[in-house]
Amino acid sequence: MGSSFWLPQPITDLAKSVDSLFYIITWVAVVIFLLVEILLVTFVIRYRRKHPKQEGPAIHGNHRLEIIWTAIPALILVVIAVISFPLVNKIQTPPKDSMEIQVTGRMWSWEFRYPNGVTTYNELRLPVGKDLLFRITSSDVIHSFWLPEWRIKQDAVPGRETQIWARIDKPGTYEVKCAEYCGTNHSQMLAKVITMNDSEFDAWMNEQKKKAESQGVNGQQLVQTLGCLSCHSTDGSQSVGPTWKGLFGSKVTLQDGSTVTADEAYLKESIVQPGAKVVQGYSNIMTPAQLNDQQVKAILDYLKSLN
Amino acid sequence: MNTSMSRRSVIREWVFTVDHKKIGIMYGVTALFFFLLGGLAALIIRTKLLTPGPDVVSADTFNQTFTLHGTIMIFLFMIPMLTGFFGNYLIPLMIGARDMAFPRMNALSYWLFLLGGLILIISPIFGAIPDAGWTAYPPYSVRSPGAGIDLWISSLHILGISSILGAINFIVTICTMRAPGMTWNRLPLFVWSSLVTSFIQLFGIPALAGAITTLLADRHWGTVFSVPSAGGDPMLYEHLFWFYSHPAVYVMILPAMGIVSEIIPVFARKPIFGYRAVAYASVAIGFLGFFVWAHHMFVAGMKVDAGTPFEISSMVIAVPSAIKIFNWLATMWRGANVYTTPMLFVTIGFLGLFTIGGLSGVYAAAVPVDMHVHDTYFVVAHFHYVLFGGSMMGVLGGIYYWFPKVFGKKYNETLGKWIFWLYFIGTNLTFMPMHFLGLAGMPRRVYTYDPHYTLFNQIATLGAYMLAVAVLMMIYNFVHSALRGEEAGANPWGDAQTLEWTISSPPPAHNFDTIPVVTASPYEFGVSEWVKKEQHSIQ
Repeated sequence: MGSSFWLPQPITDLAKSVDSLFYIITWVAVVIFLLVEILLVTFVIRYRRKHPKQEGPAIHGNHRLEIIWTAIPALILVVIAVISFPLVNKIQTPPKDSMEIQVTGRMWSWEFRYPNGVTTYNELRLPVGKDLLFRITSSDVIHSFWLPEWRIKQDAVPGRETQIWARIDKPGTYEVKCAEYCGTNHSQMLAKVITMNDSEFDAWMNEQKKKAESQGVNGQQLVQTLGCLSCHSTDGSQSVGPTWKGLFGSKVTLQDGSTVTADEAYLKESIVQPGAKVVQGYSNIMTPAQLNDQQVKAILDYLKSLN
Repeated sequence: MNTSMSRRSVIREWVFTVDHKKIGIMYGVTALFFFLLGGLAALIIRTKLLTPGPDVVSADTFNQTFTLHGTIMIFLFMIPMLTGFFGNYLIPLMIGARDMAFPRMNALSYWLFLLGGLILIISPIFGAIPDAGWTAYPPYSVRSPGAGIDLWISSLHILGISSILGAINFIVTICTMRAPGMTWNRLPLFVWSSLVTSFIQLFGIPALAGAITTLLADRHWGTVFSVPSAGGDPMLYEHLFWFYSHPAVYVMILPAMGIVSEIIPVFARKPIFGYRAVAYASVAIGFLGFFVWAHHMFVAGMKVDAGTPFEISSMVIAVPSAIKIFNWLATMWRGANVYTTPMLFVTIGFLGLFTIGGLSGVYAAAVPVDMHVHDTYFVVAHFHYVLFGGSMMGVLGGIYYWFPKVFGKKYNETLGKWIFWLYFIGTNLTFMPMHFLGLAGMPRRVYTYDPHYTLFNQIATLGAYMLAVAVLMMIYNFVHSALRGEEAGANPWGDAQTLEWTISSPPPAHNFDTIPVVTASPYEFGVSEWVKKEQHSIQ
């Protein structure tokens, strides 16, 4: 994870370029900081009133000094801005033929969809030595896709697609953090990033494809990867959404005071269209899950197993 | 006198007052009360962050706490303190007027401020506390359940009206009610900065009002300003919000800079160095302040290179601040400096710490570096160095400096110095570690964090507790001095030259028996160089 009190190890060329600019600014800042603080401390110590009647000299200003300390900071800042322009250009111009990964933020998990349709949740595996383009959006509120070691960050905005590219050359394990405040579990909205050699990545991808095609969709695995459990408990404890323990077949009181039985039809509706019937005491904040019938059935089976 | 009589006279004296000084004091006391609430919220936040795990308060309570902390400190403390207290109390006195141009409107401003503040702080009583952060970005703020956000919006609307009325009052007062001879080039620098501040409020607040109205409409009237599926866009709000809320940073720093410019010459017994440069730098900051808003949005979905014009303007706006820093340093140079509590607050305090806040701003202004530091604790450190290391130092220096004028009593100087040092060390302990936490990868507004950030969080929390002690000592200092302090006299600093020091402490209700005729700048301190040489040669 690198240092806990300084920039983490930069792992991409882009991150190294960002760091170069960071250190240029830091050197300038340190010099100006020392200049101001040393002058301040020197004046505080050197120019003290020695006797009660003492006055300072009646100096009202000096045009030459005024011009110097306007022009020099202006020049330094303009230079900093200008040297950052090529980097800005590099950041916003993804190489052609990048591998595109669709990133979707939701309260409170990350979804990653690969070009071949394979989808993962809160786990992003990437091949090394390939140009990668993240196309980022959100299905509910604003989130922010941040990879600290990669020095890249883009907000995930609903209705908008932001993008950022990267290329990594070494296998390793990193973390995606959500940087834009998004509610109760904002600080838990983390995803694991694993970068792997080409062959390992291909092997993993084949395995994923097989898993997706094979019959056995595991409901328990699904609710974990979808991030359902960040709002729904399975042990009866209070959370953002209603608990699932003993839910199936129970009587549920809705916001309008009416009651329904939590049968298969009701539960299915609540998964794909959560706003239709909202349980009393809870808010309508869940994002509709886009699942196929098989997946819905797997989740329903899992819910039944919690009784 | 029976109690009902005295109660009635208190009502008449304070509640129905239109005297700018009384209104100013009410602003100050109310703002300090809100400061204690905002500070309490900060202590809850820091206590939670002592440990990385979920602890002390629930995640939702934590989110509500930082929302209240930010909103209170900005809208209920810093802005009303600087414009409401210092502006109201000082501007008519400093320009030689008997009151503000519109005294009744001035009273209305105060009562609207109180109303707006109460609407926000009663939210816990109704169990509907806003939880969307002080920035309240949609769609989160639109989806947030309960009446919390609605109270937040109502509060901000009312505070906005209060500020607009105040701004109009200040502009008209400063433009039309200056005493004979008070030319623009003799205007005290605090008045210059307050004039610029008022224009920022007047032009900026309507954008904020528009922004929060879209939230209200989306929440209740089925509009789609931030609903993408219907053609809306959440970024509209961000643009409108920052169009006011970045200039609002200058509303919170310019009057504090004005205070610094008033205090240093008096205790250095030297004219302010480069009067015009300092005054025009305020104007430049006020003007440029409207062209930098999008630096809050470099990673918010704008094209990356759309950030470059804002990168340039954000770099440029650092220059007038730098000009002021150098002019203040030059004022101290060869001065007959004496380090009273106000002087400590504005030199070692403001000058020393605002510089850090200014420099860390350069990182956030550079688009590629901002990609990393944006929305992290680095930014939290940056704006606290500006607003707490900067503005707050100015506010405290100003309170100590004008305390004898307002109450007619001297404060305890030894205690004042102890408070300064406690405050100075506490501020650095609290906010310095946050720079490093942010660089290392800790996002802002997080309830839990990776355990390897624990140590620096604990140092920050320790600093926060130290600040709490300093605040308690300060309250004791003020209350005790106001009741038992030594009589201050008209001009306890000996030779302060702005007009408020020419009249009694506290000043009479009508301020000036006869309107003064101004013949010189208020910074005519010091002996001219050739007089000094003469003295030397005679000796």
